[in-house]
Amino acid sequence: MTGGAPPPGGISLRGVGYRYPSAPALAVAEVDLDVSPGEVVLLTGPTGCGKSTALRLAAGLLQRHGAGEVRGQVRVGGEDPATTPPGQRVRLLGLVGQEPGDQLVAGTLADEVAFAMESAGMSPREIEARLPALLSAVGLDLPPDRDPRTLSGGQTQRLVTAAALSAGARALVLDEPVAQLDPLGARALLQALRALADDGVAVLLVEHRLEACWPLVDRVVVMAGGRVVDQAARAAVGPGHPLLGTLRRLGLRVPATLDLADRLGRPVEEAERWTPPPAPAVAPLAPGEVLLEGRALTFRHPGAAAPAVRAVDLALRVGERLALLGGNGAGKSTLLALLSGELPAPGLRATADRVAVPQDPDLALFCETVAEELAHGPRERGARDPAAAVDRAARALSVADLRDRAPQALSRGQRLRVAVAAALACQPRLLLLDEPTSGQDHDQVEAMFVALRQAMADGALVFATHDVDLALRHATAVLVLDGGRVVARGAPGPTLLSLPAGVPLEVGSLARLAIAAGRPGASAAELLAGAP
Amino acid sequence: MIDPRTRLLLLACAGLLAVALERPLALLVLALACASPLLLLGLSATWWRRGLLTVLAVVWSTVLSQALFYAEQPRVPLFTLGPLTLWREGAVWGLAQSLRFVGLSLAGVALAASTPPDRLHLALVRLRLPFGLALMASTALRFLPEVGRELLVVRRARAARGRPAWRRSPWAWVALEVALLRPVVARAWRRAHALAESLDARGFDPLAPRGVRRPLRAGGLDLALGLSAVALTLAVVGARLLYLLYTADLLYLPRARTLYAFVRAWL
Repeated sequence: MTGGAPPPGGISLRGVGYRYPSAPALAVAEVDLDVSPGEVVLLTGPTGCGKSTALRLAAGLLQRHGAGEVRGQVRVGGEDPATTPPGQRVRLLGLVGQEPGDQLVAGTLADEVAFAMESAGMSPREIEARLPALLSAVGLDLPPDRDPRTLSGGQTQRLVTAAALSAGARALVLDEPVAQLDPLGARALLQALRALADDGVAVLLVEHRLEACWPLVDRVVVMAGGRVVDQAARAAVGPGHPLLGTLRRLGLRVPATLDLADRLGRPVEEAERWTPPPAPAVAPLAPGEVLLEGRALTFRHPGAAAPAVRAVDLALRVGERLALLGGNGAGKSTLLALLSGELPAPGLRATADRVAVPQDPDLALFCETVAEELAHGPRERGARDPAAAVDRAARALSVADLRDRAPQALSRGQRLRVAVAAALACQPRLLLLDEPTSGQDHDQVEAMFVALRQAMADGALVFATHDVDLALRHATAVLVLDGGRVVARGAPGPTLLSLPAGVPLEVGSLARLAIAAGRPGASAAELLAGAP
Repeated sequence: MIDPRTRLLLLACAGLLAVALERPLALLVLALACASPLLLLGLSATWWRRGLLTVLAVVWSTVLSQALFYAEQPRVPLFTLGPLTLWREGAVWGLAQSLRFVGLSLAGVALAASTPPDRLHLALVRLRLPFGLALMASTALRFLPEVGRELLVVRRARAARGRPAWRRSPWAWVALEVALLRPVVARAWRRAHALAESLDARGFDPLAPRGVRRPLRAGGLDLALGLSAVALTLAVVGARLLYLLYTADLLYLPRARTLYAFVRAWL
């Protein structure tokens, strides 16, 4: 739906471009994009392709506050969002950025949602009358006087969505809204967005997680190098569609079943019934030396009503890669903090050197350059050959060419890789990572884990995630938490196929096929190639 | 629920009283009064334990340092150990100073912990503070605990990657402590950016009139509390002023002799 006359309502970008100050080239160039009322459009592309910049242009943010060069024309509901006064703009367009927790401006749910209505000059009576419907539209049936900081990640995301639309905006733009949500939380948010679109709202969504968004979007637009390189109506994208080739070429994860159907050259329904060749038998790993052992690990955060982690027993051996799985708030990060020694754990016995990378990798980067960041650990620990350790870590995580850059000035994905490389350079025998996939595209995550598997072959790796596919592909064992308790544990495939009810995790149809074939986590291409 | 404007008024009164009062006992009463709202907040035993330890550390270190370095005359030695002498007047002065600081800090903590930032913001706006400035103040207050939490994460992340820096050299330790602020500042900058985008997207305009969902309403309790606090503060400040004028030989009122004696003994 590009070119020609723009739709009467909705969002319209014509020849839009942007060059950041002091950047030699345009970050976004010649973007034409329309989102009609009632339509959900997914804008995707590899990290750094300019999709978030395009989103901010669509919201008029960069035109108003950016110091760079703006090109082209943006219209939302026929108006220019860059020049519309704020009190009127909130009636046109809502924006939801990344990190929903950072976007909270008020002390209660009701005040949060009311903020835009207050900006629009609505009376207290009008605001009160609209509040219940707004909260209910995003599925937030909670007391309106509750503190937003006590909500889960998914609830916060839905709250900021309601807040963005509260003044009656008929267009909504969202930047990676499901990046930090567990599968069920992501589905609930996306269903809420679908319902809003069905009510006539134009929704533009920037996201990496195609699998989660795919069933609920109307159109998929792909960007690369700052330009729109492909797009198609989602319903038209089936096996053999050229859009799938574009996604693969750019390192984006094609929804698994569609990927398989495309590679098989069969309809999706048939692909779901396809039986992959069985995997050759693999000898189980001989149990290695125990690096860490925990008995009845329990922790209650100060002031919390219930423990975040309750009576967890576990042992980690050389060669193991343990995935801590669970929904938002299941206790994964707390358990990881107990295992790393950041929180007191009387029942923990560790015989190996441990290094943890926090969920927000920015908080692990404190040196002036990447080179110093990588060298800090080996130098402080008195490593025998610090330069070699730094080189190995830099190469493994592909950050060698960033050595002279300031870590804090890098992109989100690069910052994560530098933080992991800095941890790896310490040559720990036990590496712990908290949600290492947030904001990363599929290829980056895959490359990082391939490197980590190799680097930690003589040690053990623990990672907390709600990405079931990642656990199936790279973990040797999973431990599933719910409400702080272990509800399942064991080999990834069988454990994830028999999850207890209520755990907000999902195993996709391709993943089920791969598990049945004895190749948990294998991609469609690998299944077809018969690769182990 | 006390109106946030009344709370700000109580804080201002506490500030004036802390400046006006001199006697340690009076300052102790003020500190306890400032801490009393915290009792209603249901804070954890750990919080109280840590808070009490911090207060004791502040009082002890201030009393000790003032007792050691007090140079005014006359002074009476409390305790002598070799070349070191602890002076009684210094200890009393230190006790008063520390209780003054503790009282005001507790009043600030009570206000911050019991008042939602948006209500505080609205109160500041109603007290004629510019909207943008009021928002900045209330937002800074809201994110202060978050910044503390992040500093803790940074320190833990650093500790996992190396031995304590003070083992290498004091300079390395100081340099590292300063460097550890870098990620917190970078994160605060990103958070500020996200918040600014969010405010902009929700039509925030510091110059435009805004609707208010819950207008502030002061009730009878606010009036009673406010009037009592103002009356008490004016009485104490007035009494202290009269006493100061008397001790400076500027004004002596024979009928106020009982008041002078009361101020000297209790205030």
